[in-house]
Amino acid sequence: MSEELALFAIDYATKLGAQYSEARVHRIEEFEVISRNGIIVGSAKDISNGVGIRVLVDGALGFSSTNILTKESIAKAVETAYARAKILARFMKKPIVFASSKLGRASYSVEEKKRFQDVSLEEKLGTHSELWRLTSSSIREAHVSILTLTYTESIEEKIVVNSDGAYVRSRIPRILVTYNIVVSHPQKGTIQRFEEHGASGGFEWFERWRLEEKLVEDVKTYEKILLTGAEPPKEEIPVVVGSEIVGIIAHESCGHPSEADRILGREAAQAGKSFIKPSMLGYRIGNEYATVVDDPTIPGSFGFFLYDDEGVPARPKYLYREGVINEFLHNRWTAYVFNVESNGSSRAMNYASEPIIRMSNTYLKAGDHSFEELLEGIKLGVYIKSYMEWNIDDERWSQRYVGLEAYLIENGELTKFVRNPVLELTTKAFYSSIDAVGKELRFYTGFCGKGEPSQGVPVWFGGPDVRVKKIKLGVG
Amino acid sequence: MEIHTSEFSIKLVEKALREGFDEVAALVVKTDNVMAKIANSEPAVIQHWITTSINLYLTKDKRIFVVSLEPRSLEELDKSVKELVQISGKVVESPFYAPLPKEEKIEPFNTVDKSVIEYMNKIDQLVEILLEASHRERIDSVAGMVELSHVEKALATSTSASATEEKTMLTSYLRAFADDGSGQWSFTSTKVDTKGLESMALTAARFASESKSRVDIEPGYYDVILSPMVFGNLVNYICRMASAFSVLMGTSIFMKKAVGEEVASKILSIYDTPRDHELPNSAGFDDEGVKTYNKPIIENGLLKTLLHNTKTAFIMKTSTTGNAGWIMPHPWNIRISPGDSTFEEMVSEIKRGLIITNNWYTRLQNYVEGEFSTIARDAIFLVENGRIIKPVNRVRIADKFPVLLKNIDLLSKDLFDIHWWEVGIPTKSPYVLVRNVRITKHVV
Repeated sequence: MSEELALFAIDYATKLGAQYSEARVHRIEEFEVISRNGIIVGSAKDISNGVGIRVLVDGALGFSSTNILTKESIAKAVETAYARAKILARFMKKPIVFASSKLGRASYSVEEKKRFQDVSLEEKLGTHSELWRLTSSSIREAHVSILTLTYTESIEEKIVVNSDGAYVRSRIPRILVTYNIVVSHPQKGTIQRFEEHGASGGFEWFERWRLEEKLVEDVKTYEKILLTGAEPPKEEIPVVVGSEIVGIIAHESCGHPSEADRILGREAAQAGKSFIKPSMLGYRIGNEYATVVDDPTIPGSFGFFLYDDEGVPARPKYLYREGVINEFLHNRWTAYVFNVESNGSSRAMNYASEPIIRMSNTYLKAGDHSFEELLEGIKLGVYIKSYMEWNIDDERWSQRYVGLEAYLIENGELTKFVRNPVLELTTKAFYSSIDAVGKELRFYTGFCGKGEPSQGVPVWFGGPDVRVKKIKLGVG
Repeated sequence: MEIHTSEFSIKLVEKALREGFDEVAALVVKTDNVMAKIANSEPAVIQHWITTSINLYLTKDKRIFVVSLEPRSLEELDKSVKELVQISGKVVESPFYAPLPKEEKIEPFNTVDKSVIEYMNKIDQLVEILLEASHRERIDSVAGMVELSHVEKALATSTSASATEEKTMLTSYLRAFADDGSGQWSFTSTKVDTKGLESMALTAARFASESKSRVDIEPGYYDVILSPMVFGNLVNYICRMASAFSVLMGTSIFMKKAVGEEVASKILSIYDTPRDHELPNSAGFDDEGVKTYNKPIIENGLLKTLLHNTKTAFIMKTSTTGNAGWIMPHPWNIRISPGDSTFEEMVSEIKRGLIITNNWYTRLQNYVEGEFSTIARDAIFLVENGRIIKPVNRVRIADKFPVLLKNIDLLSKDLFDIHWWEVGIPTKSPYVLVRNVRITKHVV
């Protein structure tokens, strides 16, 4: 990789007069195969490769990127970042300053147990037709009208250097499988499910996911929901919220509002502000079960990294701890504003993206209940295992999750399928009404969107199943 | 790797043919973008991108490969093409295969305004306009962005197509805050239109100051005026669903509808407009070298056209509509036909309803059924007996696209050019009055 170009960039920016400069050589190589109903539609190869440069000039921040990797082009990129930051500095009311930080001088790599190049293309292609064969033949009354499947393998390589002395080199391979299933019935309509499975590592993950069993079971379930699913009870009832939904809740209503740049208004016109105000550390948002962690250092995770894109060492962050707002996600700028140390949360999607505060792997801490214990004692309730539709307002307060696979609980047992139950509640209501937490922590895959231009970065979100005290469910 | 786009696209085609591919299309795109992002009424960052992307469409024995590269060198480019030749024999024939079309003549549709390029070095002047205009109202702060882009693209194909095209664009949006009030608006153009920017800033600021002291309302069914920001967002989803690829992949409400069937209120007409001098995603030719043309997607309430490239057209036994995407056909720009009402006339037609000026986070439970919800944000107003009564707190629209499309009752005569985070395809949209929309909110 073009290490000398990165070093040249920061030296040149310093010579021009930048108070801070940073260069990131960033390459992502992807190979993708897309199929529809078992037949390969096409293959794609995508290489993103270039340098992203940031400079601080008179308190204004400039970013510039180029994929023309010559000294001349890099010099031009540095000059434009410098010059344009300088002309905008006149509008700065509060000059941007980066907090001093412990910075990495390190190199790390995620090693695949089964490297992509060691698995034949025939095997990768064959999984598409095999998964279609198994799922399409697994149900009789309804039918699988669509199974689109995308297999993606990628390798991300980076060198991050800055004028404060960081030098971090990394290599992270990732695997991702996404699919869309439509199960149809002439009278009952359709049911649809998108799902993603992703991890850092190699092809070993594909084997671990056992999709050939999972998809068959899922499709059988979707057929039953379509044929027999009934409306949820109308009265207030206890709800067991499945780990997949707990995970997205942790991401949306704890991770996002804890981003310090959002709290300071930097994303106000895009993803919005936060219900958390700068003075709210220590504020009670839930009960003792509400502990949410963001941890980029989980081995094998989709959101894995050991140093962020400012060169700061990564670590687990306890965002809510036992119901209390405990820590924000920081980069070096917000760390300066809040007079703390950066906790290494700055990420960029690719070379053409500025590093901004992001989550990594965000989850609600597990408790001590088995699934059966969560159901125990519920006379009438609902268990919502998975979801399709969800959203949350731009201050991360009012949110909605529409269940896909959901069951009626009667006398402590799952009895019938429930169709489209809607959980629509506030952040505080959710974290305050948990009354029991499962012991099994599970993770789910996603791409988190933020920034302008919007950047999608790989994350896991997760949690255990939890039981929520009485709530009135809606109908989707 | 510094390159001349036109010559390079032709060389790429020759090279890939020599390596053994049957058909090749090469699209080389050079972009120069500058964006000033604003938060708390000051610049948050200024970003600049210089990018050259090399995109190849390759077929061999009816197997399809698509490549997007940013190679470090010509050698790396050669290596990638050679790798694809090696795997080409192992992939099965694509059911989506259709031969690349032979076009007699490609006509570029250039929309270049030199002022866009000039303003890249003085973007601070545009920032100043946005800050000054918005702060004429009594507001606390604004956030948003202004972006200037210059794009040059060259296409060459093994069926002898060769053309270049150049365009410029300006996109901007601003969100203003005043106590608990907020307002957001957007503007887009192929030119630097300072009046358009100023008007946008004033609209956002006015909505912010008018939406202070909000109150809660009960969920239920309301008649709702959707602003061009909101309707633009929903129509973006609907037009992406009109891509034949979405229909084939199971992500479209049009899976259950045939061309010619009624899908919306008779007063609704939506067009794909690649030949629009005012909207920034115009194009004279698509990625297969087919000449583009403006076309109805929905006209007088009837589904008129799915968007095709040659592959989806082959599967559905029809003709390409000049909307390639090599794999996925897509809309270029969207124009919704205006109605004949003023905004005030629309308000006067509401007994009990809402005006929703902005939304975000639209998600679907089921793309085939069109079950969705989206969050109304910024200025929302309660209307009773034809009069605006008071601003209200955030609510959610939770309904079905097919129902919403059929319940459209009035369209404004004015159109607005919208392009922002939640409206990715540049869209000319009116205000729209929709009857009986389902509004929800959190229960605890």
